[in-house]
Amino acid sequence: MSDPVAQLIFLIIKAIVMPVLIILIVAFAIFFERKFAGFFAGRVGPTYLGPWGSLQSFGDIFKLISKEDLIPAKSDKPVFKLAPYIAFVPVFLVMAVIPFGPVGGEANLFGYRFDYVIASFDAGLVLFLAMGAMAVYGVVLGGWSSNSNYSLLGGLRAGAQMISYELAMGFSAAGVMLMAGSMSLIDIVDGQAGNFWDWYWIPQIVGGLVFFVASIAELNRTPFDLAEAEQELVAGHLTEYSGMRWGMFYFAEYVNLVVVSMIVSTLYLGGWRAPLEVLDFIPGPIWLFLKICFLIFVYMWVRWTIIRYRYNQLMSIGWKVLLPLSIANLLVTAVVISAVN
Amino acid sequence: MGLADIIKKGAFVDILRGMSVTGTYFVVDKMTVEYPKEKLQVYPRFRGVQALLTDPATGDTKCVACMLCATICPSGCIDIVGEQTADGRSRPASFKLDLSRCVFCGFCEEVCPEAAIVMTRHYELATFDKDDFYLDKEKLIANQVYVHKEVFAQPTEDTAPAPMEAGTANERGRS
Repeated sequence: MSDPVAQLIFLIIKAIVMPVLIILIVAFAIFFERKFAGFFAGRVGPTYLGPWGSLQSFGDIFKLISKEDLIPAKSDKPVFKLAPYIAFVPVFLVMAVIPFGPVGGEANLFGYRFDYVIASFDAGLVLFLAMGAMAVYGVVLGGWSSNSNYSLLGGLRAGAQMISYELAMGFSAAGVMLMAGSMSLIDIVDGQAGNFWDWYWIPQIVGGLVFFVASIAELNRTPFDLAEAEQELVAGHLTEYSGMRWGMFYFAEYVNLVVVSMIVSTLYLGGWRAPLEVLDFIPGPIWLFLKICFLIFVYMWVRWTIIRYRYNQLMSIGWKVLLPLSIANLLVTAVVISAVN
Repeated sequence: MGLADIIKKGAFVDILRGMSVTGTYFVVDKMTVEYPKEKLQVYPRFRGVQALLTDPATGDTKCVACMLCATICPSGCIDIVGEQTADGRSRPASFKLDLSRCVFCGFCEEVCPEAAIVMTRHYELATFDKDDFYLDKEKLIANQVYVHKEVFAQPTEDTAPAPMEAGTANERGRS
């Protein structure tokens, strides 16, 4: 078997296994979201289905599939049907460029070279930002096509919020690009070789925090979940959705949570690298998984602690705090990098 | 906005303080009582479904059909038809209680001169059959299984009335 054929087979295996694994992580992320929602409020969360309630997500899926699929009579039907997929597909595409182990190097599996990434794409970070911008179209179109005031307001808010926070997100990610000298996520992880104090979270602490806050807004999670603010907008852009179409949105939200956690750990927390070089014998995917778990836990902790910001507060945080901070971070990084070189 | 304020916000002081509170709740013992599996102990004066007590000597109900409970009942859910036994004693021929109208105020227990009708601590009355809410004499007597033990420690007609100042749940209805 020649090397290109082996690479093709590896690619197909990776392209199947990676989404399946992420879907499994998502199923348990949804369970843990509900469990921890209880824990952070001093309750116990779901306990009935499976040991410790751990099969709750699968029960949710069966319930959603068995529910009536309702499409409002005066909705824009093609767009209404398309919107969940627009929210769903871009998130999956980002998985392709995230490295979960060493890439390149010599043969390491059955005499062939196995790259721990689906696509070694040169502009992975740009793809992530572009797909994040695409995903919001699902929310906006879903809100617009539902022909409901609540949905429309939710979609509008999601659009405005995404425009405000994508900027800060892009600028703070640009700081990492400068440090690594590359837009490829593989090179960014390679630039963080060494122990945990060599990762980019120390030199890029401001950019990292801005990126983290902006990513909460990107994920539409509390305190920035204005798109589906229950108290004001019923369920925002999801108001008219039911059954599995609603489930697609919900699912996309959690896939996005996992993917954004992967991106944050890749950019700032060393990706698949072990925190200490002596721990390198533990494979990279396990370290990436642990970092994802940690970040998801922090996202949940923030979600179940902080209340939603008012709309003008959201806008002023985005434009008056995060954007100037991220630009200043980019400038300082650029000056320091050019001074060092 | 002063410098201290900026530093406070930049270091997420308030947010971290909030997260430490929720983090504490994350690790403490949970207060949840998982109801069908575990139940709370109801308090002593809890008023659940009524029961008609029987006289251990005769096996018949203690009720003398004086109609006091039916009269005082705010929702009018008690319906009694009295009759005379051969030895001249008065007793209910039928004793109907409509639980779907009962407000569980406990006035019937308070007013009963014979301590014949008592409130039990049984509260799981949900049912699929509406007829289960219409309690007749037999069902009310059968409800004796729910009566808590303190009720049977009540002074009977033979013993002296309980002192007024005692005033516990057990002596209600005698004062």
